[in-house]
Amino acid sequence: MEFQVIHTTSYEYESGVTFCHNIATLKPKTMLGQTLLDYKLDISPEPAEITERTDFFGNTITRFSIQKYHKELKVTAKSRILRDYTLQPDIGTSVTGKTINLENALELLKKNTPEHIDAKQFILESIFIAKITPEMKAYAEVSFKPERPVFEAAFDLMTRIFTEFKFDSGFSTIATPLHEVMKEKKGVCQDFAQIAIACVRSIGLPARYVSGYIETLPPPGKEKLVGTDASHAWFSVYIPTFGWIDFDPTNNQIPKNQHITVSWGRDYYDVPPLKGVIYSTGKNKMQVSVDIRPA
Amino acid sequence: MPIDTNTLFKNYFSDFKNYDEVLKSNMSVNTNWDKLLNNITQMGTETLISKQKEMDWLMDENGVTYNVYNDPKGMHRAWELNIVPFIIHEKEWETIEKGIKQRSELLNLILKDIYGERELIKNGIIPPEVIFAHRGFLRQCDQIQYKTAKNLLIYSADLARGPDGRMWVVNDRTQAPSGMGYALENRFSTSRILPDIFKDINVKQPSHFFFYFNQMLIEAAPQNKENPNIVILTPGPLNETYFEHAYMSSFLGYPLVTGNDLVVRNGNVWMKSLKELKQVDVILRRVDDVFMDPLELREDSYLGVAGLLDVVRQQHVSIVNPIGSGVLENSGLIPFMNAICKYYFKENLILPSIASWWCGQKEERSYVLNNLTNLVVKRIDRSNRENIFFCEFLKPNQLEALKQEILSNPCIFVAQEKISFSTAPDFVDGKLEPRKVMCRTFSIAHKDGYSVMPGGLVRVAAERENLFVSNQRGGVSKDFWIVTDQEQTNIQSYSWDDNCKTSISGINDLPSNTAENLYWSGRYLGRALVTARFLRTVLNKISNEQYTKQKTQSESLLSLFQSVTNITSTFPGFIGEEGEDALKDPLKEILSLMIDGDRVGSFAQTLSSFNNSYYSLRNLWSKDMWRVFDGIQKIWKRFVEDDDKTSTTALIKVLDRIITRLIAFMALIEESILVEQGLLLYFIGLQTEQATMNIAKCRSLLVMNHKEQPQYEILEALLTSHESLNIYRYSYRSYLSIENVIHLVLLDKDYPKSLTYQLRRIQKDIDRLPHSEVTGKATDCQKFISEANFKIRSLNIDTLLELDAEGIIREHLDNVLAELSDLLHEMNLSISDTYFNHSYQQSQLVNQNFPL
Repeated sequence: MEFQVIHTTSYEYESGVTFCHNIATLKPKTMLGQTLLDYKLDISPEPAEITERTDFFGNTITRFSIQKYHKELKVTAKSRILRDYTLQPDIGTSVTGKTINLENALELLKKNTPEHIDAKQFILESIFIAKITPEMKAYAEVSFKPERPVFEAAFDLMTRIFTEFKFDSGFSTIATPLHEVMKEKKGVCQDFAQIAIACVRSIGLPARYVSGYIETLPPPGKEKLVGTDASHAWFSVYIPTFGWIDFDPTNNQIPKNQHITVSWGRDYYDVPPLKGVIYSTGKNKMQVSVDIRPA
Repeated sequence: MPIDTNTLFKNYFSDFKNYDEVLKSNMSVNTNWDKLLNNITQMGTETLISKQKEMDWLMDENGVTYNVYNDPKGMHRAWELNIVPFIIHEKEWETIEKGIKQRSELLNLILKDIYGERELIKNGIIPPEVIFAHRGFLRQCDQIQYKTAKNLLIYSADLARGPDGRMWVVNDRTQAPSGMGYALENRFSTSRILPDIFKDINVKQPSHFFFYFNQMLIEAAPQNKENPNIVILTPGPLNETYFEHAYMSSFLGYPLVTGNDLVVRNGNVWMKSLKELKQVDVILRRVDDVFMDPLELREDSYLGVAGLLDVVRQQHVSIVNPIGSGVLENSGLIPFMNAICKYYFKENLILPSIASWWCGQKEERSYVLNNLTNLVVKRIDRSNRENIFFCEFLKPNQLEALKQEILSNPCIFVAQEKISFSTAPDFVDGKLEPRKVMCRTFSIAHKDGYSVMPGGLVRVAAERENLFVSNQRGGVSKDFWIVTDQEQTNIQSYSWDDNCKTSISGINDLPSNTAENLYWSGRYLGRALVTARFLRTVLNKISNEQYTKQKTQSESLLSLFQSVTNITSTFPGFIGEEGEDALKDPLKEILSLMIDGDRVGSFAQTLSSFNNSYYSLRNLWSKDMWRVFDGIQKIWKRFVEDDDKTSTTALIKVLDRIITRLIAFMALIEESILVEQGLLLYFIGLQTEQATMNIAKCRSLLVMNHKEQPQYEILEALLTSHESLNIYRYSYRSYLSIENVIHLVLLDKDYPKSLTYQLRRIQKDIDRLPHSEVTGKATDCQKFISEANFKIRSLNIDTLLELDAEGIIREHLDNVLAELSDLLHEMNLSISDTYFNHSYQQSQLVNQNFPL
């Protein structure tokens, strides 16, 4: 499948901005099963400086600064992506990956191979997932048992979050603490991803946050509207002997071609699509639109 | 020396438990201390007591402070230096010095490795979690390359003597170690107050060390410039060691800046100066890692510079120490330090550290959990007292809670053996007492290794049996002597050939923040003086009328009351219907205007605003300035808290005392600060404020027409408050006439207190400010002030005196004064806009909420 993604973020500043420094994490990854064919970042007004680099987690981040007075900032990332999930390792055909139980997985992880060293940092607390409460651990332990295969347990956790948590875009913001989400069982995709990560970490397995897009399909017979898609987030679990495998708790599925990966990190904090420091006195208004369609 | 007969040592051993630096358990004296104890004994108890008092006084007088948050003694607590120094002989010091150098090199390699190859982790020397779970490990700093000789440029170790008699490392300080300035000031003060105490003792001096320190800063410049621009970045006057930041700034001669003074543009860091942006090469920072860059690190920080980290990445600026070095302040590393040392150097650590168990390992963890009550537990990334658990003092439920906490997140906990460190004699209440001591040492990187300061800063536990030694809680310090058998030239030379100093000088390069503080200091000082003088005049007048037992307040006094409100803009005050009450008890209103710090326009508020803007300039102060400044604070504090405030005489007395000191202070500013250092800004502020208040005074006292007697009294009061009565008498030798008074206070070209003179002076000073060369045109502030000057020059005394049709007010005078006042106001706004440029605040594009 080939996709075209247009992700536009715009800010309107009530009293204008004289100067700003920003970081954008918008460039989709090239990895097994996903190839970035073309990528263009349009920023208006034109930045005085713009540089690109790879961050600690291997994501491409763009830093730019605008040094003239402006009342609106518009950042548009256009990408063309070739997606073929069948090229990724299939857990269905991996005998050990599918069957390794929690007890054995934890035992294997004790060994500090280079791969394990890298994966194990995703067990530790992170900026947004700093306080894993006993409630989260208890929630995880319903799915994760020493004898049960890790994959099965993770899948079960995903399904439980999908069924027990309510999607409610009015409930949370990025500043809503995790335990609030756990208590109210409400939130959006990034909350669900972070709850799942907290649960997986609480039982001692590595879990990371994946930021990207999902293609939404129009109801049968209707034409797709522009901008109905959105940034999306899900989680990934490290299963020893197999590797990382993604789960989407918002849609209760293992990502296939509809999911496009932009970046990953310990939690949302590591990979916000756009952040920055502005010099201004007034308020600002933000608008985001994402459009994904087969190219 | 026979100890038992020495009264100074009376009770020294009464409840002696510890290893002591001076006295061995068989009551013999450590011979290294012989001479010092001799000198102290010869001085005698009386002298020692008075010397300690003198020392306390000197610290206070010199403004050596250590700010303690929420301290009942106030923000600026005086630094305490005990007169008895701490001694280590060169023979022992040589080993310690070697140990510090070894540890510096080691930590440098660890720092390089952690943000580079991470071989230590890959090769299993340290467990990954010790680094990855530490909050100081900043992934944003990964793989940054530095051009400096070492990655770790300054290192500070806290040492204490362990039970085996060796010096042990207690803490590593690697972000922005404090204490060097205090150590230096301690040595200066000891030499000044106690020259006799050095008799026959050879003490090593730290002058070489500071030479290396300066050299390190110069060589840190990424472009290898001859005259790099070096700045010292402080979190600001509220920080506990702000004294030291200012002290180092004036000692080294580099500008003291806050994050707000710096900006990142076009891949470089720039300092906002009065004239332009000036590129910065090296930042010696006293701001902690995560606050350094709100773009990439802590988003809510206002102490750093947005975009800084990327400039570091591009090697266009050097930060001393580099951002991210806080990961070395890591008690999780301690159990592995010897293995790391063997890995790199094939040798053991020279300086031992406290036996420590990292809870991330299974066996260690179970040892810790089984022996908890004998241990001290810390978080690997928090070494402050709040995060240290002395388990022997915990109640069973607290112990259980701690166990659970360790089990739920074992990687972030370390347990250490409970150690009793040595004590040294401290002079307390006329005798010597054993107190726990901790030595902070300093080392500086250069091409071939590290240089160590001979001595350092010794801190003493606040109470006799205290376990903790920490300045965060106040506490006492000691001069730290490395004594040698070789003769020392006891000349302390701190001047070195330095061609770097000229790089930032002149008004063009004045940091705009400093300029702004100077300008406001001038304004507040002017306001304080004019307000105080006017209040004094009014109080004198009240006092006179009380004396003559007048039944009702005279017309002139009423006018004066109302003008008090006008001049200070403290409405309703004495004015209008709401003012009726105040007029019934005028003293109460005046007292409120004096001491009510929450009231806008009150004298107390002006004074406190002055203190704030002035305190943030302390790197520019001379010692005399501090003394007078401190005097004002003390008089005022005593008055507000204790003194009688019911009689006019008492109020007049305190105003008298404050006014004298304000004037002394103004004279000191003029002789202590150069025009290039920003004195110009101070003058502009001072003159503008005085001119503005002069106008307000004239408007409220001269516009209304009065009968002869009250007119006379009002003019007399005006001139008195203006300190111009004598000049008037000398110049006019006549009865007070409104015509002459207007001439003297408004129009006289040669009298420095006349408005004409003040406006001309302001214009002259503004013309000397740096102006944009690009436009070549007059700035807005120039336009406003020249318009004011033009206006006042064209005034005609007869028109000014004209009364309106009803014969009540001098309308023309009122209008002109109002216009002049507006012009000054516009000029002030445009000075702010042109030179201080902070009309825009830093904020986040997206507001997030997280504790990094």
